[in-house]
Amino acid sequence: MYIVNVENCTKDNFPLSFSEVELVIRPAPENLEFIQRFLPKLDWSALVDTARSLGDESLPEQMPDQWTDDQLKALHHVLMELHVEEGNMTCRGCGHVYPISNGIPNMLLAEHEVGR
Amino acid sequence: MPQYILRISLEHKSFRIPSLLSISQVFNFPIRFISKDKYRGILIVELEKEEDVHHILERDTLVLSASELYAEGKTYSELHDQMRGNLRVLAPYEYASFKFTLEGANHRVVESRTTETVESFAYTDLKGKIQMKDPEVEFVIYEDYDFEIAHTSEARYKRDGKFQHVYFGRRVGFGKGRLLPTKHDVKARAYYGNTSMDSHMGFLMAGQALPAPGKIVYDPFVGTGSMLYASAHWGAYVMGSDIDGRQIRGKSKGKEVKPGILRAAAQYGTEDLFLDCLTYDVTKSPIRRGGWVDAIITDPPYGVRAGAKRLGRKEGGKPLRDEPYMFPDGRYSHQLPGYLPPSRPYELANLTLDLVQLARWLLVPGGRLVFFLPTVNEDYQEVDVPVVEGMKELKVDEGSVQDFGKWGRRLITMEKTAQDDGPPPTFEDHEEFDLRNQPEHLPGHHGFRERYATGFSSRKKSENPSPANTPPSLEPVVSVTPGSKVQYQHI
Repeated sequence: MYIVNVENCTKDNFPLSFSEVELVIRPAPENLEFIQRFLPKLDWSALVDTARSLGDESLPEQMPDQWTDDQLKALHHVLMELHVEEGNMTCRGCGHVYPISNGIPNMLLAEHEVGR
Repeated sequence: MPQYILRISLEHKSFRIPSLLSISQVFNFPIRFISKDKYRGILIVELEKEEDVHHILERDTLVLSASELYAEGKTYSELHDQMRGNLRVLAPYEYASFKFTLEGANHRVVESRTTETVESFAYTDLKGKIQMKDPEVEFVIYEDYDFEIAHTSEARYKRDGKFQHVYFGRRVGFGKGRLLPTKHDVKARAYYGNTSMDSHMGFLMAGQALPAPGKIVYDPFVGTGSMLYASAHWGAYVMGSDIDGRQIRGKSKGKEVKPGILRAAAQYGTEDLFLDCLTYDVTKSPIRRGGWVDAIITDPPYGVRAGAKRLGRKEGGKPLRDEPYMFPDGRYSHQLPGYLPPSRPYELANLTLDLVQLARWLLVPGGRLVFFLPTVNEDYQEVDVPVVEGMKELKVDEGSVQDFGKWGRRLITMEKTAQDDGPPPTFEDHEEFDLRNQPEHLPGHHGFRERYATGFSSRKKSENPSPANTPPSLEPVVSVTPGSKVQYQHI
């Protein structure tokens, strides 16, 4: 699941918190070069917190300066192989619950949120 | 540098050069077009090495086969003269088993002429064994004819041999990309909808996005995902979003059901490249930052089969709620399962400009935006492609167009020239397309849905001409007919 880049809310409350999740792990071929290129785009602490809330403790607290292959593999696992199939994502700011079903998050805003 | 003969399909002519250029960009090799007329059945290109030809054969969906060019001429005697001076190119094949093939572009060569034509090459003095099946080397004679309708065998015999040009070379290989559209045929796809893009067009579009392993391709109007399968086929990671999640999912419901898009991806063996498909309105998107997508590729809904929608309420309808609605039983409407927020039409001119602005923000520097722009042919002008700072249109000649008569769709390819992300687009309605502001020119795709439905009646002839059709810079010409009132006429 592409957690970090999609998680947001119109009111800058980030990241969304997961609840009632059903996880699926789908092995994906490793492309560590791709993962590495993506590093500058990640909000590290948000990613680590989210991964931990999903029960994955493999990521270090601080973003490493020098990455080992094992660390990159752990990151690959979180970003590319860990899928939330069912569950909810809740905005910490406004409380909006975005449901996920069959792995597809529904992130439509409700009517009263559109104009804001 | 060696030159190569590309035997190339005559369909989608205006897509062939952009397609070849994009392949040369993905694999970073120079390509030069030698043919004066780039739109015939034979195209001569100059490449540095044979490996580049293989990239073209692998990827291009229009190239039928490729050969290294040895000699050419307007007639056989010109060709033979040139070949006699160039016999050293055959040295590596002197003792190889070989065969000769005679092919015609735009014409099926009459078989009885084959033997004498091949025998006219006797001076090449090849000593290898002639072997029709799996020879070590195949030499090809291409006769290039003008397009002409010749249904009867008499007509075929009559024009046989009256070619414009003839080429001789050694076969490098056959187009493999050519087979892909059939492999991805929509009718045989595990999941598709009424808006699915023809698979060949899908490949031509994807090619423009320069897909390659490790790149991310995003479709903000993903629908049934047709734009993504071809990109994923070339190894790119893909993701899509749509305001209507039902398209992504398909009809089947239930927890264990795999979404339709992923079912089709699994059929093509690319499911692990599908990062995510999400339901959201791209104008109210949860994307947090820009500068990380390598290509945006989309076929925006233009209202013929499906209309574009964005969250909100139609003008003149109920006002937009600013507080959540509570049912008498104390539950909020938006928290109930199956809640669908109201939507309003998304006018195509607004959508297109927003799309380019979105690309300006979301793409990496050098990233590409590829999309179809439907347009009423009569009204199309160069200015119709939105101009946004930091985004440059890439176009060959008149651009790539699929012409349907009164309307057509142009494939627009743009490159992000800006180095920064810039601010995210606001997605406000653009005032320049608001009829109330009496715009001087409306793009050929403005109000496309209505115009499609009314059979593309001319804006100029319509009873209530839109102000956009009055050429602003021209003074009306006054023509006076004797005995009548003064009439105004626009030229």
